[in-house]
Amino acid sequence: MSDDTSNRTNDENARRTDGGANIDGFGTTDEESTVTTREANQSLSVRFGRQIIKGVLALTIVFLIGPVILTFISSFAGSWVGVLPSGFFTLENWYVALGYNELGTSRGLGGGLQYSVLLALGGVIINLIVGIPIAYAIVRYDFPGRDLLSTFAILPLVSGLILGIAFLRTYPNLSSSGISLIIGYSLLKAPFMVVAVKSSFETMDLRQLEESARSLGASWPRTFLTVIIPNAKQGIIAGSIICWTLAAAEFNFSYIVYSRGAKPFSLFLFSNISNSGVLQAAAAVSIYFLIVAAVTALLRASGTRGFTYGAR
Amino acid sequence: MSDVIIENLTKRYDETTAVDDVSLTVTDGETLGVVGPSGCGKTTTLRSVAGFETPTEGRIRFGDEEITHVPPESRNVGLVFQSYALFDNMTVRENIGFGPKMQGVDADERDRRTNRLLELLGIDDLGDRDPTTLSGGQQQRVGLARALAIEPEILLLDEPMTGLDAKLKRRLRTEVGDLLDDLDVTALYVTHDQEEAMEMCDRIAVMNDGILEQVGTPQKVYQQPSNAFVADFIGTSNFLSGESTGDGVDLGFATVPTNGTTPNQGAEAKVTVRPEAFTVGEGTIEATVIDRAYLGDTIRVRAELPDGQEVTLSLDEAAPEPGETTTLSIDESRMHLLES
Repeated sequence: MSDDTSNRTNDENARRTDGGANIDGFGTTDEESTVTTREANQSLSVRFGRQIIKGVLALTIVFLIGPVILTFISSFAGSWVGVLPSGFFTLENWYVALGYNELGTSRGLGGGLQYSVLLALGGVIINLIVGIPIAYAIVRYDFPGRDLLSTFAILPLVSGLILGIAFLRTYPNLSSSGISLIIGYSLLKAPFMVVAVKSSFETMDLRQLEESARSLGASWPRTFLTVIIPNAKQGIIAGSIICWTLAAAEFNFSYIVYSRGAKPFSLFLFSNISNSGVLQAAAAVSIYFLIVAAVTALLRASGTRGFTYGAR
Repeated sequence: MSDVIIENLTKRYDETTAVDDVSLTVTDGETLGVVGPSGCGKTTTLRSVAGFETPTEGRIRFGDEEITHVPPESRNVGLVFQSYALFDNMTVRENIGFGPKMQGVDADERDRRTNRLLELLGIDDLGDRDPTTLSGGQQQRVGLARALAIEPEILLLDEPMTGLDAKLKRRLRTEVGDLLDDLDVTALYVTHDQEEAMEMCDRIAVMNDGILEQVGTPQKVYQQPSNAFVADFIGTSNFLSGESTGDGVDLGFATVPTNGTTPNQGAEAKVTVRPEAFTVGEGTIEATVIDRAYLGDTIRVRAELPDGQEVTLSLDEAAPEPGETTTLSIDESRMHLLES
């Protein structure tokens, strides 16, 4: 029986390669003249449709990525007066943005950045602890108020501004500590975690997976940790990345709640943009992008490795 | 291993009764099929044995050990689902080794069992694959191997073939049936497909509306259905009603002696006749052919008897055309009187 089954996979592979060739439109030979005619008829959409989509995509990328690249490059420039920045190559803007003054002594903002990476990460961890069980409960169980929970957990109902004011009113003494920022971030961004994880859970047959694992001798907590969560890893990684990025960029809440100490990310950006020259702002924005990219990569890598390790 | 005994199992949800006082014994090494239309309580019965439903009343025992309130993870039952429910975060090999690992079986023994099962199911070349890259039939084999790896007290199969195409289904039926026999596994096989159950199971339990209608070998259930539901659900049946004459049944156009018990004289009696118990071209019963369907291995003919009753016949190539009138005889030994 293994013969037949491997044939089956071969067939499937063959079909896949065929499909790929057809999309490229070069997969035909003379013997398959009928196929060629049919493809000639299709070619209107194949030829023009693909070109148009490619064009739109390229334009979008240039429009969106262009400014980012230009900003990044300009952050190393000495001046930006004309169309293009000039006076390369200097790290002065970066020093200023990072809080070093002309004498090279630090104002401590570098540490602040690290702190603010951790603030957003703290929010993500709370989101994981709260968001995964909520998503699981919504998908797996039927209970009174399920629709209501599902709606409230998914809609980002409260704006950062309102939540920030509410926080200040309710906990007037907490504002100096990072804890209120972490809690605020987690509250504000939880919906994104729930949505991402929920969509992962929805593609799985949770009940049968769970029952299989339990019948094989795994207790419920063990089933949840070794089978359910690793199977939802795509959603969990995606949710973490989204939550972290959004928490790092959350301005309104940070602005209202923050009082003193190391600055949250968005406020760091704000102070660099509002009080200083173009090039320093460019450096600050570049720092932000670099950190976002680094954290994203880190979350992805650690997520993938962590889950793979968990399965062994 | 030992017998698995279900005693007076009843499961009620609020208003509805899913399973009503069902008692069943799956003897050691036997494959017991549970068939019935959807919603008949067969899956609830299976889930009660697995431990995912707590019976409202009744007990479940593995041999002398009562396990009614033992949690699923401590029961040592193997489950195979229609959706396979493989763990996509593990390779095929890890899937199969998962159960033994949870039970604390050491790594060497785990490997040994995994290798043996991979070989037994003919999937030894797939061990390191990701389950998502496998075809339906391959996934089902992995699911079966995974359930067998814990050397279960009982293997529970919940419609395991339903998602597969007809040809593969037919092949797997024989393969899995042989495998279950060879391994001497005690198994409960739930399906809505009576043909599948007849082929794979040693005995069949027919359920309807939460009630156990009949338990018996495929032959017994087919030839001597205990009531009209079983007769109709297992295969095709013709129901003929007549009046009891004491030692037989007067069907109006013919009187047939019946095997076994006969209702009181004059009482209404119902008999069931399988389509293949009829012979055309001989006998005394006149029938007019209504329509005729060519099915390849047989020709299915619907015909009307003089008193207006319709019967379905299974005939060979010489079957009459629609509109023709022919004569029929019934193999009396293959008529079965239904208990009313």
